[in-house]
Amino acid sequence: MGDEIDFDAFPIARKGNQFQDFTPGNVFVHHWGRTVTDGDNALFSTAMCNWNPMHLNAEYARAHGHDDVVVNPMFVLCAVVGLSVEDLSEVGGPFLGMEDVTFHRPVHPGDTITASSTVVEARESDSRPHIGIVTWHTEAHNQRGELIVDYQRTNFVAKRREPKPAAAS
Amino acid sequence: MTPSDITSGALTGDGNWFEDFAVGQRMRHFRSATVDEVENNYISKQVMNTAQGHWNEEALRGSHLGNGRLVFGLITGSMTVGLASQDTAENALAELGLDNVRFKKPVHHGDTITAYTEVLAIDESPDRDDAGIVRFKHWGRNQHGDVVCELERLVLIKRRRAWTLDGPTR
Repeated sequence: MGDEIDFDAFPIARKGNQFQDFTPGNVFVHHWGRTVTDGDNALFSTAMCNWNPMHLNAEYARAHGHDDVVVNPMFVLCAVVGLSVEDLSEVGGPFLGMEDVTFHRPVHPGDTITASSTVVEARESDSRPHIGIVTWHTEAHNQRGELIVDYQRTNFVAKRREPKPAAAS
Repeated sequence: MTPSDITSGALTGDGNWFEDFAVGQRMRHFRSATVDEVENNYISKQVMNTAQGHWNEEALRGSHLGNGRLVFGLITGSMTVGLASQDTAENALAELGLDNVRFKKPVHHGDTITAYTEVLAIDESPDRDDAGIVRFKHWGRNQHGDVVCELERLVLIKRRRAWTLDGPTR
């Protein structure tokens, strides 16, 4: 029927950063943002076996002074990390851990989260020459510019072995 | 049910007010949960974790992390917190934070997580006298008994004496 198409020759539209892209002090403003919905909170909280009425019973949350349910902070944390993955860890390596995670104020359905991260440290691995260890400080704010969560996260990050490819146009 | 009934424990258990926790107390939580399509594959995408190893069965084939979809570490962590939540936060006012979060081993679809807790510290709240702060250590173990994650967690928990009808003041 027509010429064969060589799909393997299509240039890949690469995503993500590697060890050489992280210099202490660099700031990454992460993509997209996210408006949190009632559905997000209910789905996440139930799937994670977190049936706490502060997250799932609006009358209970109102009786404790909130206007609506309190979005499960673990959802907020997962979404903030999610927003940061392409910039920080998508092609890097395993997630090692987090320190000093502080939930500064509650998130309610309808709030919009944005996130940014600063490189705190980028060091070589003694045992693995092709891998480094990077720590970032991430902050997330709501639509009023209020800090809702911040933390430090550390990952293994692979080093780039060839020159950085040209960005896809 | 009035707001006062709701806040004084009509909908929540009675063994998990601030006064009920003691340093060194340990709990193995009653229910375990298997991580599969909804818990990892969908929720990784719901929280916009673009790393496809969490939701592309082919992405990590043959890698040192093992074949198949790798569970997002914070989903393992969230499940561990969730499995512990009834016993540790049913009478909480707020989750304050986490610390020393560590992902120790890969978790894959089909693995089952059991949560364990120890009370590390109990403190006054600097802001309010009707609640106090408990620092918990949680562990998540898989079905083989390996610890897959551990974390510390700070929770602001209501005091029975301040919130229940049999307490002296409100």
